[in-house]
Amino acid sequence: MMRIWSHRPQVLHLALFFAAYVLGCGFAKALAIVPGTNISIWPPGGLFVATLILSSPYSWPWWVLVGGPAELFSQALWWHSPLPAGLLMYAGNALEAAAGAWLVNRTCRRPVRLENLQEVLAFVVLAAGIAPVISATVGSAALAWDGESAQTFWAAWPLWWIGDATGILIIAPLALVIFQNWRGKAELSAARWIEACVLGLILLAVAALSLSGYLPFAYIIMPPLLWAAVRFEFRGAAVTLILLALITAIFTISGASQFPGDAESQRQKQIMLQLFLAVSALSALIVAALSRQYQQALLTLRESERQLREMIDAVPVNIWCLTREGTPSYFNKRLIDYFGQDVADIQTPGMSRLAATIKAVVHPDDAEALSERLNESLMTGKSFSFRYRLRRYDGIHRWIEGRAEPMRNRDGEIVQWYGLCLDIEDEIRTQGALRAAQDKLARATQVASLSELSASIAHEVNQPLAAIVATSHACRRWLSAEPPNLERAKITLERIIRDANSASDVVSRIRALFSQTGQARSPADMTEVISEVCRLMANELAMRNVHVETELTESLPPTLIDRVQMQQVLVNLIRNAVDALDTTGDGARAIRLRAVLDGDDTIRVEVRDVGAGVKEPERIFEPFFTTKQGGMGMGLAICRSIIESHDGRLWATDNKPRGTTFAFTLPTRARDAA
Amino acid sequence: MKAEDFIVFVVDDDPRMREALSELLESVGWRAIAFGSAGEYLSHQRPNLAACLILDVELPDINGLDVQKQIAHGDHPPIVFLTGHGDIPSSVRAIKHGAVDFLTKPFTEEALLNAIRSAVERDWLARRERAELSIRRQRLASLTPREREVLPLVVSGLLNKQAAAELGISEVTLQIHRRKIMQKMEADSLADLVRIAEKLEIPITHSRRAGST
Repeated sequence: MMRIWSHRPQVLHLALFFAAYVLGCGFAKALAIVPGTNISIWPPGGLFVATLILSSPYSWPWWVLVGGPAELFSQALWWHSPLPAGLLMYAGNALEAAAGAWLVNRTCRRPVRLENLQEVLAFVVLAAGIAPVISATVGSAALAWDGESAQTFWAAWPLWWIGDATGILIIAPLALVIFQNWRGKAELSAARWIEACVLGLILLAVAALSLSGYLPFAYIIMPPLLWAAVRFEFRGAAVTLILLALITAIFTISGASQFPGDAESQRQKQIMLQLFLAVSALSALIVAALSRQYQQALLTLRESERQLREMIDAVPVNIWCLTREGTPSYFNKRLIDYFGQDVADIQTPGMSRLAATIKAVVHPDDAEALSERLNESLMTGKSFSFRYRLRRYDGIHRWIEGRAEPMRNRDGEIVQWYGLCLDIEDEIRTQGALRAAQDKLARATQVASLSELSASIAHEVNQPLAAIVATSHACRRWLSAEPPNLERAKITLERIIRDANSASDVVSRIRALFSQTGQARSPADMTEVISEVCRLMANELAMRNVHVETELTESLPPTLIDRVQMQQVLVNLIRNAVDALDTTGDGARAIRLRAVLDGDDTIRVEVRDVGAGVKEPERIFEPFFTTKQGGMGMGLAICRSIIESHDGRLWATDNKPRGTTFAFTLPTRARDAA
Repeated sequence: MKAEDFIVFVVDDDPRMREALSELLESVGWRAIAFGSAGEYLSHQRPNLAACLILDVELPDINGLDVQKQIAHGDHPPIVFLTGHGDIPSSVRAIKHGAVDFLTKPFTEEALLNAIRSAVERDWLARRERAELSIRRQRLASLTPREREVLPLVVSGLLNKQAAAELGISEVTLQIHRRKIMQKMEADSLADLVRIAEKLEIPITHSRRAGST
């Protein structure tokens, strides 16, 4: 009970409900033209159901309490029913409203907005179909029992049922709209207001014409009604239905309608009128619900599309789409920002859009290969993956990893291509730096091994030399002593000879050193070794402004070599050639590398320069012979040792008109095997 | 300088160099002992003579410069370095750490002999210094505890009166102690005593100026 008290509605609402109920009864009375039936459409039913649907069940007793006096007052005013019969009828009405509201609330989501087809159907079937059964049964029984109105139960029941149903179908939606949007702002734009007004006028005109008999039948009202339902959904349908009911009522009351007539046909027409209104209301409500559902779906779709697009623009990846034929159809915002222009709009006469786009944004060196790969993918449907350079808005080309996958429909046909571009510039740079560092390291190792070798040779020669000097001084002292110590002088002289011999042994020891490393040899292609050395020395050569021409016979037979030693020989010969170029101030700064097959089983490699040439082509191979300042004179001697340890020959010849050619031969593996 | 006066140690891993150096030094009339490694030299019982160490930089067991660092705090003879390929940074480092010379092989006889001479001379002076110091230490040790208290006060320049007051003894007694100290330390004058005290690192603890300690 406390709950019921605490849920009491505002007095104003109750008063308005009372007034509306009485007005509804008056409207019903005005339409009750069939003699003896007293009622046709029953608007209070709709009002009652809508009120209860929207209010809490605990407040229902209050509405029922207020509805009772309103109906009894109306009955006393218009129908003059006896009090018991009136009470019984009201009980039926109240029961109908409560049952309808309860069923609808149970079935639909709260608050009830009748926004989808399911809710509308539930409302129509439960509130407008089943609930009136109660009131029709109770009301018809009351009428039959009353006896005064001379109506049989079975004659009154259908009219009662259809009257209530129509009342609920027409009034309840409107009531729901009004109750729910009482405080909400009208969200209609000016254009929509104009449309609403035009629609209202058309509806009025059509209704007036059709109901006054100028148009052949009343259903001509359907198009404007459905238009309202489609465009203005539930609200449009509700308002239009009320308008329609009002027009019908006015015409019926004024007798201008096609419905009035003799008693039996009037009864028939009454039913027709009610059916007409009921069918109109049903159609309008269903169409409104469908329209609402459609709009909702559209909104949801747009929202999800917007979210998807935002996501696509937000992810740190450049995304693009191609049509099945390869026409660019979409670039995400990030990609457009990257280009600094919307490349999708690029058009060049005589070129496909794809080709024009590629020409505009891809590095010229990569464009052809990219087109080829992309077209291949478009033809075959294979995934596309390629690395290329893409021009940024500031004109800088950055390395991109481009990938694309086709999207296929259910039949496996390609519908569209989705692609993305990943910026891999930094990665490429890092790789480049790494490779450069590796090259540098390799070069340093080679340079170090030769200079280390030189240092160790220097030490090897210096040590006996120092001993010789010191011993020579001792020898002189023994000889110049008084008396000369010939015995000791002889010993020292022998030591001097011994140490001098050991110094001259150094070179033969170097030879021995190189021939000892024979086990490190593996078959290799000299062309490859030469290319490798050129790569290693590329920086140095570029720095010294020297151009290298190569004439390398492809697929030379393999030779068994110590790769590192062979690299050292080549580095040494190339450096000598470059140094030789420095001795002449003019002429082309070019050296020429040749690797050819000399006979069946010999490979011949030449390093040719256009320097000043050498005066003594044989002496330069002697240890410690050097023409360079600061040179050790060991480079060519070591080179010759290495080549000879490979069973080859190294020599130098003068070029005409100038320069020197250093050439060496190496046996091929075939000869080794023979 | 006589042959018995000093000895030359040679450390070189190359036997030819060891032989040549020994031969040369012998021909000059000097005594030389040669070692193949730093370890051999260090484990050798050195005679109590002025000496010089000829050290090859490139040794098999350890770098010559590191040997120099290791023996810096022992009573080792001055070092003359020999190297196959001398570079400026290592020669600077060697000289800075007290090496007499840094010779690049092959070197002239003159350069080597001069370097050895100056090294030996330096060692001889150092040895004399060390010997004097040890005698003085012995003399210092012969002082009585009271005399050892008086010595710092006297060499600090305090008047007899002040020193006596400091120790709470009469001026006459202090004068007796002072005379004893002069005798025992074999100092000719107060100035001589002060010099000796300085070498023995006796701290100057007092000042004649009144008010400060």
